[in-house]
Amino acid sequence: MRYILLALLLSQFCITAQAGQQGLIEKGEYLVRAAGCVSCHTDPDNKKAYLAGGRSLDTPFGIFYSPNITSDKKHGVGSWSDEDFENALRHGESPNGSHYYPVFPYTSYTKLKTGDVKAIAAYLRSVKPVAKASREHDIPWYLFRWTIAIWKWLYFDEGAFTKVANMDVIQNRGAYLVAIGHCTECHTPRDNKGVLDEARYLAGTKNGPEGESVPNITPDRDTGIGKWSNSDMVYFLETGALPDGDYTGSLMAEVVDDGTRYLTKADREAIAKYLLTLAPVENQSFKKQKKQKKKSVDEW
Amino acid sequence: MRSKLKRMIQLGMAAVLVMPAVVLADESENIIKYRQGVMKAIGGHMSATSLIVRGKVSYKDDLKDHVRALKVLTSDIPGLFPEDSDFGETRAKAEVWEKRDEFVKAAETSQQSVIDLLSAVESGKPDAITASFKQVGEGCKGCHKDFREKDD
Repeated sequence: MRYILLALLLSQFCITAQAGQQGLIEKGEYLVRAAGCVSCHTDPDNKKAYLAGGRSLDTPFGIFYSPNITSDKKHGVGSWSDEDFENALRHGESPNGSHYYPVFPYTSYTKLKTGDVKAIAAYLRSVKPVAKASREHDIPWYLFRWTIAIWKWLYFDEGAFTKVANMDVIQNRGAYLVAIGHCTECHTPRDNKGVLDEARYLAGTKNGPEGESVPNITPDRDTGIGKWSNSDMVYFLETGALPDGDYTGSLMAEVVDDGTRYLTKADREAIAKYLLTLAPVENQSFKKQKKQKKKSVDEW
Repeated sequence: MRSKLKRMIQLGMAAVLVMPAVVLADESENIIKYRQGVMKAIGGHMSATSLIVRGKVSYKDDLKDHVRALKVLTSDIPGLFPEDSDFGETRAKAEVWEKRDEFVKAAETSQQSVIDLLSAVESGKPDAITASFKQVGEGCKGCHKDFREKDD
């Protein structure tokens, strides 16, 4: 009788542990969506190779190719420990100690909570392995990995997310999601060293990734999203619909499709509340518009 | 006399060669304006439809009119993008012409989603309306993702 009881207890324990692990993996999947990992780490021309990398990112510093982050032991992250993930996401260091180029947004992921890193690790280790080698970046010869050490020393603000004073629980949840969703990496202008201009946080830029213009998402009425309601933003993050009936395209459509649409309504509401209560920043460069795309006539 | 004739022929030749480019450019700019007008009209009806479907306004009786308009306006989107209508102030990507089959297919999917939305509106089932409206949005976003440049 005693043994039966013991066996029962033991199996109960195993089931609970398994359920715990399953919960962790699900949490990790949610966070991978929230942190916008999928768009960059999946080749848009081969969506079946989910998270197997190979997507090109055209930046002013060269063309980068995202690496494989499936659970493949050789080419992916299948053999990584929790500590390896912690070092990569929060400190920008690979398991062999080399530095990642900040095109991998550890400048934002440094804000991830340790528990969230563990969940992401658990999920990525559960993703179907794809045996595909990561492609070398196409960047100028002088951008050695070690130059990144200097860049990091100068400009990388390491550290976990800290609650914003004067903001309530919902706004702070929004702030955390905006941080790990690394919205700032595209929506905040950069200088020629690739450093974000924090004074113009989320105020948009004409010179974003892939040479595209990125809108101001502070609530400035003229040049930002000051005329949006909370529910406009909540609906936008789910569907990509802009308040004027237009629909977002390009990179933001990917962000919506691969990321924000998977968020719970409560989380989308938190992002909306946070963004729409930021201090508005005017972006002069959005006041006048339109470039000319002319062809052939001038050649005559 | 002979040189005068030669001169006239030269001028004529020059005019013949220049004309098509000028006409083409002019026509292209007008097509772009027209296309943008139609797209804005679609956007206007989408915005109105969205507000009704999401219950933000109570113009329920007008829903069918907006969706009918959408059906008409989306009936031939590829027709709004003829060959050579890409010079001028346009955000249309070269892929509109280079990957024509994909573009046409995407446009057809969008058109079908609007037809489905109209059936849903006619059936009066709120769930079906909400679901099919989202599908229409998917069509807009899908095309803008692959075939339209970001605003600048």
